[in-house]
Amino acid sequence: MAIAACASLDEVSTTTASVAATLVAAGTVFSHRTRVRPPGWVKVVVAAGAIAASVWFFHSLTAPRADFAQIEDPLTLLLISVLVLHSFHVPARRDLLFSLAASAGLVAVGGSQAIDLGFGLYVAGWAGFCLWALTEMWTSASGGGRMSVPSMLCALGALSAAAAAVFLVLPAPVVSVRVAFLARAGLGGSVGVPGALAGDSGAPAQLAHAGSVSGTTRVGGYLGFAKSLDTALRGQLGDQLVMQVRANRPSYWVGETFNTWQGESWVETGPRSKPLEQTLPFVLPPDVGASLSGEPDLQTFYVAGTTADLVFHAESASELWFPSSRVFVAEDGTIVSPIGLGSGSIYSVESVVDTPTAAQLRADKSGETLLAATRQTDLQLPHPYPRVHALARSITAGDATTYDKVASLLTWMGRHTRYSIDIPPLPRGADSVTEFLFGNRVGFCEQISTSLAVMLRSLGIPAREAVGYVPGGFDPITDLYQVHANDAHAWVQVWFPGYGWQSFDPTAVVPSTPPSPGATALREVASDLRRVPWVPVAAVGLGTAALVLVVRLRRRRPPSWAARVTRYVELAGGRAGRPREPSETLPEYARSLDRLTAPESRTWAELAREVEASAYGGRDPAPPAQRDLLVRARRTRVPRDRSAAAV
Amino acid sequence: MSAWPRPVRPRAPIAVAAAVVTLFWFVAHNGGAGWVQFVGDLVFGTLLVGVVGPAVVAGRARVVIRDAPTDGVAGLPMEVHVVASSRLRVRPLHPPGDEAFIGPAKRTAHDDIVRITSPARGVHRALTFEVASAAPFALQWWGRRVTVPLPHALYVAPRRGRPEATRPTRREQEGAIVIHPHVEAGFPRGARPYVPGDARRRVHWRLTAHAGALMVKELERPSAQAVTVIVDLPPDPEEAEAAAGRALATVLELLDVGASVLLQTLEESGVVAEEVRGRRQAGRRMALAVSRGTIVPSAP
Repeated sequence: MAIAACASLDEVSTTTASVAATLVAAGTVFSHRTRVRPPGWVKVVVAAGAIAASVWFFHSLTAPRADFAQIEDPLTLLLISVLVLHSFHVPARRDLLFSLAASAGLVAVGGSQAIDLGFGLYVAGWAGFCLWALTEMWTSASGGGRMSVPSMLCALGALSAAAAAVFLVLPAPVVSVRVAFLARAGLGGSVGVPGALAGDSGAPAQLAHAGSVSGTTRVGGYLGFAKSLDTALRGQLGDQLVMQVRANRPSYWVGETFNTWQGESWVETGPRSKPLEQTLPFVLPPDVGASLSGEPDLQTFYVAGTTADLVFHAESASELWFPSSRVFVAEDGTIVSPIGLGSGSIYSVESVVDTPTAAQLRADKSGETLLAATRQTDLQLPHPYPRVHALARSITAGDATTYDKVASLLTWMGRHTRYSIDIPPLPRGADSVTEFLFGNRVGFCEQISTSLAVMLRSLGIPAREAVGYVPGGFDPITDLYQVHANDAHAWVQVWFPGYGWQSFDPTAVVPSTPPSPGATALREVASDLRRVPWVPVAAVGLGTAALVLVVRLRRRRPPSWAARVTRYVELAGGRAGRPREPSETLPEYARSLDRLTAPESRTWAELAREVEASAYGGRDPAPPAQRDLLVRARRTRVPRDRSAAAV
Repeated sequence: MSAWPRPVRPRAPIAVAAAVVTLFWFVAHNGGAGWVQFVGDLVFGTLLVGVVGPAVVAGRARVVIRDAPTDGVAGLPMEVHVVASSRLRVRPLHPPGDEAFIGPAKRTAHDDIVRITSPARGVHRALTFEVASAAPFALQWWGRRVTVPLPHALYVAPRRGRPEATRPTRREQEGAIVIHPHVEAGFPRGARPYVPGDARRRVHWRLTAHAGALMVKELERPSAQAVTVIVDLPPDPEEAEAAAGRALATVLELLDVGASVLLQTLEESGVVAEEVRGRRQAGRRMALAVSRGTIVPSAP
């Protein structure tokens, strides 16, 4: 199962996995047959093979052209070799444990590459086989011990509880070492014009509410990953998985930025992106004004479907591992892939994260580092926007710093605007910001963020529009952020001279700390539980419980009428405080109950006589009489034994 | 061995499990892959249950002696029927015995028999075992000491030693067996039906053949004018054991020749002088006998 798990992730070829699995099976049979007296040469061969495999493994890691980042492949082969070799020599229980440990390592190596929950099938199968092997070990060690089903369930419950407790308590894994920074081309195909964005070839986008409904849909229906961003249009975003991201912290996965606002659309008017050709990793030029120090944020992007040829990444990317010999990089940090990014494509990015605090931003008094031309571009407005300017000034009247102004505007936007993708079409020739701010103030993220950017620009604060994805849902099992098409997003970047471009989002909140798998799992479980239809579930549960109860009661029911009468007699005596002694015969017990009932009572004695006649004399009364006896035994009561109670 | 569960050697699995879990967690946490951490959590749970679970099993296990012999001989194995609520490895501690597995078994028919071998005579009213379990995964054994009452007392007679000469002796020092034989064994005066306790040598075979029932000779003077055997055991346990063995052999020899034997021993309750009618009774008396130095006088 462990070998199959690795094969499913292309860690080893199918042929290698098949041969290895066959050899393991053959070795297990051989080992089982020779377990009493294993041949001495087997141990020698196994030891020599293990040493040879280890030497090969270390040689492959330390060879001059070896890449330590590709340790999984030789490690997988090493562990498979160990499994195969060791399967021929398992004379003792500890040898079986060794094999199980090697298989655990193999599953872990596979797990390091697994990015979906489907891997859980292999893990479940492997865990099942391991538990079976371990319980067989117990059977062997205990001379044929048998675990009852309740005991096994208890053990499984304890195991699951312990594993779940650790899972809930441990923090999310972090990528602290560069062991496996992956870069692999997928099924994206080629790009017609390298360096250009997919969708720029003239094919119109499919429109959602405004405009004409024709043309092809871009990535998940989002229209922003292109040369321009029309804020009047909103694609019908799908729910398909776009990519999965393994990262130390959640971030905006920025695709590109726009600096020129045209009243309805954003466009990028900066210099064209330049090709960057290097051996891996690509060392990316730092963002203008960005701090060069900070914590590294390692991200690996697993592209799940055909996407734009934008290389998404957390802000302030510094290095890139990409399955291509060149990429195109623009001044604003936009990275464009020269190859199509399709399903199976993998690339990794390292960003340097220096997230300033509010106090730092508020106290930012660094000198001007933005080029005059760039600054002019990022303050550009197509027309003066006097009403917008007046509104922005009134909102930020009491604010002295850039950060305070941004914060005030964000607060105002949160209070006075409403998010909706169902909006009326923009009138022809109208300015979408004016329509939004002085209309019904209902819009989607592009309109809200654009309004914020325009208000900031009207106040003389450089701002630009950024598009990309919000982090997406965090999967606590795979530790991957699941980015779907409807996670496409637009937000605002504001220039702070001492810290560069800082993101502000008036429509979404992205946590800055990594989520805890345990907390996420509990939250998801709670969310799932809230969705459970409790009434039918409770009905089914109660019905099942009642059925089990009835079955158990029927199983406990004495098989014969005589035994049932005996039980009723004993129950009556027990209720009266006079339980039957182990040495007491039924007639003796019945006589004592009669004495308790009344001096002249013979009720219990007669019942006992009938039972004795049936049990030892083989004389059963007719069924109606049996029913009468049962009814009498069940209904008759014995007065409580006061003497016993007194004692 | 404590009455609380404790790990039984080897304890290496505990350290190995801790090392494996730590290494796994380190790799999982720093590898950034959730599945590795998930697998590590499963490994942790398995090791935890495998290492600590046996403590729970051993601690909760109930052991009952279903059946045991009433009499035994020191140095000879005796079989005790022991049942347990779960599968356990049982090692008799007092008296010692062979290791055995008891409790529900999977394939083989389990007899739940534990063989004990008492090294010395005595009376056992309970047996002490070390019960251990490695359920459910056989990763680590945990054991505890349990003392289980016997359904009845187990009398362990001493090993039969060399019998003393059955003639009068005047040696009455410690460790000696003083025999006061009767003068005559008596003359036959008739026969009577056999009753339990009659010596085999007194069976009148010809009359038995005639009567069709076992008949024994009746002596003119009752042979129960007993030979009195006084056993005075020395304080040293080994010497006392040897002396008890010699006494038992002497009594049995006297019984074998048809003599009636009055055995006087010192027991916990005091001096006991009673007629001994058979081997079993003799063995029990010698099992109960104590040496003089072991009696602690009670305070007035």
